[in-house]
Amino acid sequence: MDCTKTREMIHDHIDGRLPPDAAGAVRGHLGACRPCAAEEEELRRVGDMLRLWSAVQVGEREVGLSPLWTRVRAGIEERREPGLARLLRRWFWVPAAAAVAVVALLFYPSNGTRAPFHPKSFDVTVESLESDTATVALVDKGEGLPRVIWIIENGKT
Amino acid sequence: MSEKEKGHPPDEDLVRGALAGDEGAFRDLMERYKRRAYGVARGIVGDPDEAQDVVQDAFVKAYYRLKDFRFGSNFYTWFYRLLVNQAIDRWRKVSRSPTVPFDDAWISGETSDPEAMVYPKTPEELAENRQLSEGLTRAIAALPEYHRTVILLREVEGLAYEEIAGILDCSVGTVMSRLHYARAKLKGALKGFREG
Repeated sequence: MDCTKTREMIHDHIDGRLPPDAAGAVRGHLGACRPCAAEEEELRRVGDMLRLWSAVQVGEREVGLSPLWTRVRAGIEERREPGLARLLRRWFWVPAAAAVAVVALLFYPSNGTRAPFHPKSFDVTVESLESDTATVALVDKGEGLPRVIWIIENGKT
Repeated sequence: MSEKEKGHPPDEDLVRGALAGDEGAFRDLMERYKRRAYGVARGIVGDPDEAQDVVQDAFVKAYYRLKDFRFGSNFYTWFYRLLVNQAIDRWRKVSRSPTVPFDDAWISGETSDPEAMVYPKTPEELAENRQLSEGLTRAIAALPEYHRTVILLREVEGLAYEEIAGILDCSVGTVMSRLHYARAKLKGALKGFREG
């Protein structure tokens, strides 16, 4: 077996993928050819060094990996949360955004004109209430002084 | 020696237990593979904290996908598929550039006398040799992500070409070409190293 053929088969030889007769032929050449033997040794050293390198990295992280189960379990629990609860959590900002939008419509003057529900002055009273609903309403008490009532659901605006 | 021979339940028994609702069985699986998983993720992602996050996320994902595991196949190759995909995705998100420039300065090159080179034989010796250890880290990071994945799965995890091909969903020929390329690159990096 010559050097070219040996170099072609050298990775398979290192990985133990050659049939016995081919492996024997490669070994025979390596025993007689110093450059090919050096090439094989250097390629094998890559594996040796990678295994040592990986062992060093894992060893340096040993403390961090010890409580991994706590973190994995927390991740499992988080994904186990019922779909409805996740959906509600995801959409909790909708009533808050609606409230902000309504207030903006009420008080924001555009092009010198007042918005439909803008009071003649800012002499208004704002009250805070709690409710199980998520409705925002404007209540006119009929006394010339509109009152804005915020209704806040579950403490979230 | 297999886990069974060591008195530990085989992976498939633990998978069955986890599927039956035994959380402890899944924990045992995690404890069995977390270090190896971290070693692979560390090599692919580069950053230790990111690598640990990848391992954690991969195990959470594995927990919920365990019902897809096919009995008769290896748990670790099934799990590595999740892990490697997670690690490559994470690496692509966190890396600011697609590849790290190969550090030619570290490779002092052709003048080294192979007889004069002294390489570490244990992890402790390598840990003490910061120049080589950090040089290896840079050389691994400089490889394209699929090349470093292949060489880590082959050289560190000892997986067969066919197993790697299954994990990466590519042909054995692709595994071979990536492995040969990665070995040649790292061989070049190591060749220049001379202690002292």
